[in-house]
Amino acid sequence: MALKTNLFSVTLSVEGMTCGSCVQSIEQRIGGFPGVVRIKVSLELKNATVVFDQALQSKESLAEAIEDMGFECTLTETTT
Amino acid sequence: MTTHEFFVDMTCEGCSGAVTRVLKKLDVKFDIDLPNKKVFIESDKDTDVLLETLKKTGKTVNYIGPK
Repeated sequence: MALKTNLFSVTLSVEGMTCGSCVQSIEQRIGGFPGVVRIKVSLELKNATVVFDQALQSKESLAEAIEDMGFECTLTETTT
Repeated sequence: MTTHEFFVDMTCEGCSGAVTRVLKKLDVKFDIDLPNKKVFIESDKDTDVLLETLKKTGKTVNYIGPK
């Protein structure tokens, strides 16, 4: 077993980011959330890939957290 | 109504856009001065509430004082 079974990866599309500092603030804030293992935000693809612990976070709670920061966030695809 | 002055570390339109969106949710009158990194909010709400809302954007925020 390579990974813990409750780890989950999700790609969220994020609109409204225009520069590196937007990317950084999302990575810092969401990356600091409990249950978030890894986060990668892409300015070009306008999305955020988050690896998280399902016991502590959900796709919805992450999307809501990004929305809360003032960006438009929608759920796109999910991979395990 | 009091106008409160805040320093928000915004670097681009995306940043000010994010600030705009969180403040819209709060339903207050506000004005953003991007070149000077200032946000003016006209509200009777507690400054702590306004400060917390601005901090949600993940940026450095300081309360300067009433204008």
